[in-house]
Amino acid sequence: MTQEREPVSTDGGLVVERISAGGFMETFLVIHADGHATGYNGHVDLGTGIRTALAQIVAEELDVSADSVAMVLGDTARTPDQGPTIASETIQVAAVPLRQAAATARRVILARAAAVLDVSPEELQIDDGLVYAPASNRRLGFGELLAGETIRVALDENAPVKAPESYRLVGTSQPRVDIPDKATGRAIYIHDVRVPGMLHGRVVRPPYAGRDSGDFIGKSLIAVDRGSVAALPGFVDLVVIGDFVGVICEREEQAAEAARRLRIEWTVPPPLPDMDDLAETLKNHPGEPRTLSESGDVDAALEGAANRLTRRYVWPYQMHGSIGPSCAVADFSDGFLTLWSGTQNPHMLRGNLATLLQLRPESIDIRRHEAAGCYGRNCADDVSADAALLSRAVARPVRVQLTREQEHAWEPKGAAQLIEIDGGLGEDGDLAAYDFQTRYPSNRGPNLALLLTGAIPPDPQPSDMGDRTAIPPYHYEAERIRVHDMAPIVRASWMRGVSAMPNCFAHESYIDELATEAGADPVDFRLKHLKDPRAAELVRATAERGNWVERSGPRRTSDGRGDGETLYGQGFAYAVYVHGPFPGTAAAHAAWIAEVAVDRRTGEVALERVVVGHDAGMMINPAGVQHQIHGNVVQSASRVLKEEVTFQNSTVESRDWGSYPIANFPEVPDVDVLMLPRPAEPPLGVGESASVPSAAAIANAIFDATGVRFRELPFTPERIKAGLDAAAGVGSGPSRLSEASPEGAKPSAPDRPKLWRRLAAPLAAGLAATIGTAAVGLTLRAPIAPVAPSNPSVYSAETLERGRILAALGDCAVCHTAPGSATNAGGRAIETPFGTVFSTNITPDPETGIGGWSYPAFARAMREGVSRDGRHLYPAFPYTSFAKATEADLQALYAHLMGQPPVRAETPVTALAFPFNIRALMAGWNTLFHKAQPFAPDPARGAAWNRGAYLVEGLGHCSACHSPRNALGAEQRGAAHLAGGLVDGWQAPALGRASDAPVPWTEDALYAYLRTGRSAEHGAAAGPMAPVVASLAELSDEDIRAMAVYLSADGETAPRTDGRALAEKLVAQSEADIRPARSLGARLYDGACSVCHRGEAQGVLFNAGTPLALTTAIHAERPDNLIQVILTGVEPAQSGVHSAMPAFSETFTDRQITELVRYLRSQFARDRPAWRDVETTVASVRHSKTRPAQSSGQ
Amino acid sequence: MTHSPDAEITLTVNGASHRLAVPATAPLLAVLRNDLHLNGSKYGCGLGQCGACTVLIDGIAARACTIPAGSVAGRSIVTLEGLSKDDRLDPVQEAFVAEQAAQCGYCLNGMIMALKALTLREVAPDEEMIREALRYNLCRCGTHLEILAAARRACGLLPGGEPAPRPAR
Repeated sequence: MTQEREPVSTDGGLVVERISAGGFMETFLVIHADGHATGYNGHVDLGTGIRTALAQIVAEELDVSADSVAMVLGDTARTPDQGPTIASETIQVAAVPLRQAAATARRVILARAAAVLDVSPEELQIDDGLVYAPASNRRLGFGELLAGETIRVALDENAPVKAPESYRLVGTSQPRVDIPDKATGRAIYIHDVRVPGMLHGRVVRPPYAGRDSGDFIGKSLIAVDRGSVAALPGFVDLVVIGDFVGVICEREEQAAEAARRLRIEWTVPPPLPDMDDLAETLKNHPGEPRTLSESGDVDAALEGAANRLTRRYVWPYQMHGSIGPSCAVADFSDGFLTLWSGTQNPHMLRGNLATLLQLRPESIDIRRHEAAGCYGRNCADDVSADAALLSRAVARPVRVQLTREQEHAWEPKGAAQLIEIDGGLGEDGDLAAYDFQTRYPSNRGPNLALLLTGAIPPDPQPSDMGDRTAIPPYHYEAERIRVHDMAPIVRASWMRGVSAMPNCFAHESYIDELATEAGADPVDFRLKHLKDPRAAELVRATAERGNWVERSGPRRTSDGRGDGETLYGQGFAYAVYVHGPFPGTAAAHAAWIAEVAVDRRTGEVALERVVVGHDAGMMINPAGVQHQIHGNVVQSASRVLKEEVTFQNSTVESRDWGSYPIANFPEVPDVDVLMLPRPAEPPLGVGESASVPSAAAIANAIFDATGVRFRELPFTPERIKAGLDAAAGVGSGPSRLSEASPEGAKPSAPDRPKLWRRLAAPLAAGLAATIGTAAVGLTLRAPIAPVAPSNPSVYSAETLERGRILAALGDCAVCHTAPGSATNAGGRAIETPFGTVFSTNITPDPETGIGGWSYPAFARAMREGVSRDGRHLYPAFPYTSFAKATEADLQALYAHLMGQPPVRAETPVTALAFPFNIRALMAGWNTLFHKAQPFAPDPARGAAWNRGAYLVEGLGHCSACHSPRNALGAEQRGAAHLAGGLVDGWQAPALGRASDAPVPWTEDALYAYLRTGRSAEHGAAAGPMAPVVASLAELSDEDIRAMAVYLSADGETAPRTDGRALAEKLVAQSEADIRPARSLGARLYDGACSVCHRGEAQGVLFNAGTPLALTTAIHAERPDNLIQVILTGVEPAQSGVHSAMPAFSETFTDRQITELVRYLRSQFARDRPAWRDVETTVASVRHSKTRPAQSSGQ
Repeated sequence: MTHSPDAEITLTVNGASHRLAVPATAPLLAVLRNDLHLNGSKYGCGLGQCGACTVLIDGIAARACTIPAGSVAGRSIVTLEGLSKDDRLDPVQEAFVAEQAAQCGYCLNGMIMALKALTLREVAPDEEMIREALRYNLCRCGTHLEILAAARRACGLLPGGEPAPRPAR
C-alpha cells in the first residue's frame, strides 16, 4: 500500500474536485507528479475491505495497477462529506463520484498526451499508467504529462467511464491491502494512536446504562468525592459536567484504578418496562404508525380467507459487540480540536462536537483510524466526545478507552422488534391477504456526551429505520404494510441488517408457514409467488446448489444417524436487503439453505451447513464479496442462535462475553457460497445482505426437523427444549429453567452468614455475668514503665535476620498496616463479631508506637495479651498462639521491630459495644480460654513435625483464622481445632481431616501451596490467605516443609491416594457433559470462566486457573469464598507463580453471580448438596464492609 | 498487599531486556502497549475472555490483560511483533496473509498467537485441535472460515499447503 499523500504536493499534480452542496471545495482524486494517485472518499473502512475495492475502481478507470492508488477515507479535513458509512452503500453510492473523478482525470491525461503525440485522444490507450498510441513506440507516464504543473479540474459527472466488458481489474479478486500490516502489528488502529504528552482518561458512567431518554438523563448525579481519587498515583484531574464524569491520569492503569475507586453517588434510575416480555412491552410502547403500502381491500380479504394465519414474531435486543471497546484521542488547544477517532460518521460527529464544545465545525479536525469492526453504531462517537471534554479540561491530549463493560452496557443496541402478521390463503391456495405491522423502537443514537452534559434535551426521538425490507417479495392479493416508528426504550440504533433482518424473519417464516398450510414445498411455493424474476433465478440456483429436498410438510427425520434423538432439518429463506429511507435502494439478493441438527433431549441446535446463493450484480472484488458473505453468515447465525441482551435493575445486564456469548470456532458451520455472475448489472452493496435470510432459514430448518415452529429469537437450548416439550405435551412448561439439583442431592441447612453476629446479641446479656464470675479476684494488670527506645545495634545481624523472618511468619504487617499507610503503623480496621478492632502502631515510635516498650513489656503482650500500660488486648491479636513462641524467638522479633523506622501515627481507638468495651473482662476471658505456656515438643514425633507444629501453632497462628470460635470469640479446641473458621467475610477452610478439598491434601500439596501460593490439585491462595503466602516467602524451604509435614499429619495420617490421578478423574467427570451450555449459569461459566479453568487449559494457557472440580471453595459448606473470589478476583500471591484472576464485581449482577454459583456447585461438586440462600449471600458479601470500596457507577 | 509503585521490573520481550519503572501490578498488556509501544496485542475485555491480548510467555499462550507485569519478570515474552524476523513473516502470519484471514483484524493478534502456541506444542495438529485452540478467541466479523483456512495452512493440513507468495504491497 502506498502512503497517504497530501492532496496537492508542491511539485504539481492533477486535482479533481467539486463544490459541495454546502459551498465547500471537496477533493475526490489527486494524481501526483510521480504518477501515483490518491482517491478521497467520505466513507470509512469498517473492516469490510472497501479501501481495497475503492482503489480497484480508481485503478480501473485510470488503467494503472491497484497498488499505485492510495485511498484516504473519512477524514474531515480532506475527504468529501458523504454521510455515515451505513447501509452497505459505499460501493453502490459513495463510489460513484470517485469513479467519475477518475474518468475526469483520465480524460485530462489523454487530452494532454494527444497534444504531445499529435494524435486524437480516441486513438490513445493506457497500460499500467503509461499512455501510448498503438502506432508509436513512445510511452508517456502520468507524471511526465503533468510536467510539474498543478491542474485543477471540476469533477464531470458525464465524463465517459469504461465499459464493464473492458474491465481488467474490477471483477478480479484482489488481496486486501491492509492485511499484511494487521498480521504483523504494524497497522495503527485508533487504539494504537499516541501523541506526545498524551494522558489517559476513563469515564465513569451513570447507573442508567444504555438509556438515553427521560427526565433523569443528565440529572442523576448527587455527589462526587474528589478526595477519593485525588491522592492516587498519577492522578491529574477529575471532570464533572452534569452526569458526565471522567478521570485523567498519567498512566492508563492508573486511570482505570481511579475510575474504579471514585466515590460517587447517583439517584436510582426509574424502572424499565418488563424487558423479559418484549412482545407485550413493544405492543404497549407508544409509536407512530406509518403505512408503507396498501393494495386491495385487506380487511375484506382477511375476513374471506379460507385459511387465516395470525402470527407474531419477536426479535430481541442485540449487541453490535465490537471486539475492541471504543477508544479515541483528543487534543484540544487554543480553541481547536484535533480528534483521532474510529467513527463511522466523521462529518456527523464533527457537527455533534461543534454543538458540545460550542465551536465552529471548521475548528475541528477529525482523523479517522481503523477501529474494531462496529457493524453499525457502537460507542465510537461517544468516546470521541468523552476524549474531547477531558482534553479541554486539562489542555493536553487525552486518550479515552472504554471498558468492555461500558461498551456492552452503553452501545446503542440493535433494536428489539415485534412483527405481527395477519393473513391467509384463499380458496385456490393463493396468497389472499397480508397485513404486516412492525414495531421498531430506536433512534439514531444521539451522542452520549451531549445528553450527559445537558447540551441537548433527552427527548425521545423516533427514527424511521424500521422500514427496511418491510415489503415482502411475494405477491399477496391484498397487502397492507405498516411500521410503527417508536422512540427508543433503551438506547438503540442501527445494526447490521437494520430492521431488515427482523422483518425478513417474519416474512420468510410466514411464507413457510403458509406453504405448510398449503401442503406445498417451501421452495416451490416461494417460486410460485415471487414478484422478481431475478430473485426467482437466485432461489432456483440456490435450491439446486444446496440439494434442496422437496417436501410437503416437516420431515422430522433422524436421518438414520445417531441414536434417533437428534433430528435433522433443512430450511430455506430469501431476501433482498433494502436500505435507505423508504422505499429505499435494493442491495444484493441472498438466499439461504440452513441445515440443522436438533437434539430433542437438550434443545441444542447445531447449525451444520449453510448454502448461500448471492446476487450482487457486478462484483468489484469477488474475493471481498465472498469474505463479506462468510462474515454475514457466521455473525448472523450467532445472533439467531445465541444472542440476546438482558436487562436487570432498570439497566443493561449483559456486560461481558459470558453474559452475551457469540459464535465460537467449534460452532462454525460449513458454508458453501454460490455467487451468481452478473457482470453487466450495476454493483450492489454486499456488507449486510447475506445476513438477512438467516433467522428464517434456521427457524424453517428447525421446523423441518421437529415440526415445531419457533417465532422468537434466540434459539437457545432452553427455548427449543421448552417448545419441544410443550408440543409433546410434557408438563414441565417453558422457560425459567434453573439448575436442577443432581439426583439425591438435598439442600444443606440454611445458610447463616452472620452466625457470630446472631449468637453474639442474645449472649451479650449473660456475658458480663459469665466473664465477671470467672474474673473474680482479678484486677487490672500493672503497667510496665516506659523505657528509652532500645538501640538495635546491640543485636547481632543474625538475630535481626531471624526477627525479620519471624515477623513475616507472624504476618505482623498484614494486620498492623492500614491500606495505603506506612508498614506496621497500625490503624487497620478488623471486623469481629463484637465490633471493629483497630490494629495498633507497632513501629518503635516512642509515643504512638512501641518505642517505649521494654522487652518484658513486649513479651507480656505476646504471651498474655496485656499492653504495656496494663490494659488487656482483645484476642483479635492472637496472643493465644504467640504465647507458644520461644524466648529466643520473641527476643529476635523484638529486636527486629525495634530496628524498623519509627512512624508517628495515632491509630483510631477501638470502641466495642458494652460489655465488650470493658477490657478488664478480658482477664476472665483469659482464665477461661488462654494458657500462656510455651510450645512443648512431642517426643513421639519427628523433628520436622515438631518444628512445623511450633510454626503453625505459634507465631504462624494459623488457628486464629482456621479454627472456629465460640460465642465469646475463643478458638475452639479438640476436634474443632483447625476445623475452619470465618474471617473478614471469607471462610478459612478446615485443615487436615475436616478439609472440604475434593482431593485430600498431601504433604507435597501443602508444601506447594504454602511455598508458591498454589497447589495444582487444590487451587490458589486468595483473599486473606494471599498476603499470608506472600509473607511466608521469607521462610526457608525447610520451615515450609515442616509446616506441611505437621499440617498433613495432623490428627490422622493423610490418606495414601494418588492425588494427581484422583484430580484428573474428578476433572474429567465434571466436564464430561459440560456442553452445550443449557442455562444462564452454564453460559456464564462457558464465556467467563472456562477459558482458564477448564481441564484442557492446563499447560496450554499460561498459568491457567485450577479446574473447579478441584477447588475447595466449590466444595465448601458455604458459598462465601466462591462469591468472594468472583467479586474480588485473585491477586498473585507470589510473583511468577500464577496469574491473577480478574474481579467480576463490575461485570456481573447479583442475579448473574447467583446463577453462576448455583451452576458451578451443581456441575463441579456433584456429591455436595446445593447451597441455599445463595442470592442473599451474594448480596451480603458484595456489600460487606471488608471488601474494598467500589464505585457505584458503571 | 502493598506494592511499591516505584520499584523497577525487568521484562524480556521479543528477546530484548527492558528495565521499566512501572507498577508491578500494572497489567502486562498495558506495559507492552504503553511503555514498549508494541501494538500487536490488543485490549478487548480485560477479563481474559476474548483473547485479543494474547502473547506467548515461555512459549505458551497467555492473556496479557489479566497478568500483572511484575509476575512475569524474567520470563520470555513474545508479542506479534516478535514473530517476524527481519521482515520475514512467521509461517502462521504468512498463512493469514495468504488466506486473507482478516476483516477488521482486531482479533487477528490473538488468532495468530494462539495458533503459534498450538504449532509450538503439537507436531501435527488436526482440525479439532485447531478449533479447540481457537475456542476462546472471539471474532465478531465472522472471519472464522478464513481463519480456519489459515490455521489449516499453518498446520500443514491443506493439500499443497505451502504458504502462498505475499501479495504485492
